[in-house]
Amino acid sequence: MSAQASDEPTRGPDRGIGLGGGLLRGLATTARTLLRPAHTAEYPDVQPELPPRSRGVIALLQENCTVCMLCARECPDWCIYIDSHKETLPAVGGGRARQRNVLDRFAIDFSLCMYCGICIEVCPFDALFWSPEFEYAEFDILDLVHEKERLSGWLASVPPPPQLDQGAEESKEVAASARRIPADPEQSPPVAPESQPSTEPTGLRLHPRQPPGPTSTQPPTEPPTQPPLTGGSS
Amino acid sequence: MSAPHELEVGLGAGALATADMVLNIGPQHPATHGVLRLRIVLDGERITSAEPMVGYMHRGAEKLFEVRDYRQIVVLANRHDWLSAFANELGVVLATEQMLGMQVPERAVWARTLLAELNRVLSHLVFLGSYPLELGAITPVFHSFREREELQAVMEEISGGRMHYMFNRVGGLKEDLPAGWLARVAAAIAAVRSRLPDLENLVVGNEILRGRTLGVGVLSRELAVAYGVSGPIGRASGLDVDLRRDDPYLAYGRLFGPDGPGRVVTRTEGDSLARLEVLVEQVHVSLDLAEACVDTLASLPRGPINVKLPKVLKVPEGHLYRWTENPLGINGYYLVSRGEKTPWRLKLRSASFNNVQVLSRLLPGNLVADMVSIMGSMFFVVGDVDK
Repeated sequence: MSAQASDEPTRGPDRGIGLGGGLLRGLATTARTLLRPAHTAEYPDVQPELPPRSRGVIALLQENCTVCMLCARECPDWCIYIDSHKETLPAVGGGRARQRNVLDRFAIDFSLCMYCGICIEVCPFDALFWSPEFEYAEFDILDLVHEKERLSGWLASVPPPPQLDQGAEESKEVAASARRIPADPEQSPPVAPESQPSTEPTGLRLHPRQPPGPTSTQPPTEPPTQPPLTGGSS
Repeated sequence: MSAPHELEVGLGAGALATADMVLNIGPQHPATHGVLRLRIVLDGERITSAEPMVGYMHRGAEKLFEVRDYRQIVVLANRHDWLSAFANELGVVLATEQMLGMQVPERAVWARTLLAELNRVLSHLVFLGSYPLELGAITPVFHSFREREELQAVMEEISGGRMHYMFNRVGGLKEDLPAGWLARVAAAIAAVRSRLPDLENLVVGNEILRGRTLGVGVLSRELAVAYGVSGPIGRASGLDVDLRRDDPYLAYGRLFGPDGPGRVVTRTEGDSLARLEVLVEQVHVSLDLAEACVDTLASLPRGPINVKLPKVLKVPEGHLYRWTENPLGINGYYLVSRGEKTPWRLKLRSASFNNVQVLSRLLPGNLVADMVSIMGSMFFVVGDVDK
């Protein structure tokens, strides 16, 4: 495309310096821009509208963490700290006693974090999520190590993932349910996601305000003072 | 500036004899991007020798690559030239895929091309704003950053990042496009294109800026070749090399084909103004390419955007050099693998390193007042120099 105005003396053989027309045109541009509304936003008063994929902070769903350590190992600069101990659950009703890992500490050092999202990607149990929340600056760099209580507090601001483009491959869940339907046809009325398979946001089905399980002994250390940034803006 | 003006201060019988003076530009000089240091020897106002002292921001990227697997390398690789993160990632994953003999889905190929071109526009717009800033013109940077914001919004929507996209994966992209994203990209391209003439007028149409750049810092084609200067700087000196056309990767073979919108922008003058003009025109070309990618992506059949990878990705033994046309020039990765999950060696050839070295030949003979004009027009990123 040749979008350049033909009267422009910038190209071609005439590369000389003009007589001031360029300066006048520049001033005209400035004057025109003066009349347009500003492109910037008054940040603390006007919150930015961030897309759901924004990588602001990493939120932790403690109940899903099995202490498999994959995130801590795959982190390119090893900024995730995990401590745990084993707990033996007493045998119930004739079964054998079972062992399980209990998460003691899960901390991310956000002064080292490079915001790559590999931890979230490798987590096999969906315990980590991106949140667009970004207001967690500190005065001391040491205060950027955030423990699991703080990380869980950010769950409330995790938005549902955006719907995918119509050219995208349908998600695993939708494809699997579509395969299951012919097997037992009486199940199809309640499932029935077939009408718009790709518009169904799948993958994130958590209810962060009511964490399942009895582990809610600790109160949320920081009740979010602001509404979630972009809850379902898509 | 064919006949340099020089003010000779005379006192009594004759001019004062001037002694050579060593002047350090940087590492914290505000006119240098980041921390490039120039050691300049001055005779009066004239530069007699100049030496770029690099390495203040050396982070040992190549060594860090050797202890990271191929996904973790992408995190580091997108940081050396922070203005073209997507293009940096691209070289790593293209090299890895080529070594693995992996076939990347077509949707991923076109989406990568689209994002790479948007990234090129973003990078060029920074320099179209910051170069006039160094020469004393404040206004263009506001215009160029407004256009950047337009494009960054769509980049952030798809990748979640504004600079370090971290969106490439071996075998494709991390996630598919969000619904309606292509329409928003098309709208952003149209908006940027409609306002681009304003920015062009402010930059290459401005008499003062032309006066500061016309005929200043002429880089000959021979010198550009000798120093390995590439990208827009090399093309402004008549070095007609563009890897998108000459060694096509991604979908560039089609885009730069006989009826594609791609064309290589060159100038023969080799001065600062020519370098700036190449940048301006490349923005137009890249917007055309991005538009073609949007059209193609919308018409592609349904399909995946990446390839499912094994848990542990090991690249077979061998070595390979993959170069790509980054916004600032040729960016190459020489990947040597011994069959492990980390590379044995990953050499990085960054564009800015070579482009900056030529300053030692370009600056001598010029006035110190033209130093910023010449240095700024080499369009470098210090992280890309120091790696």
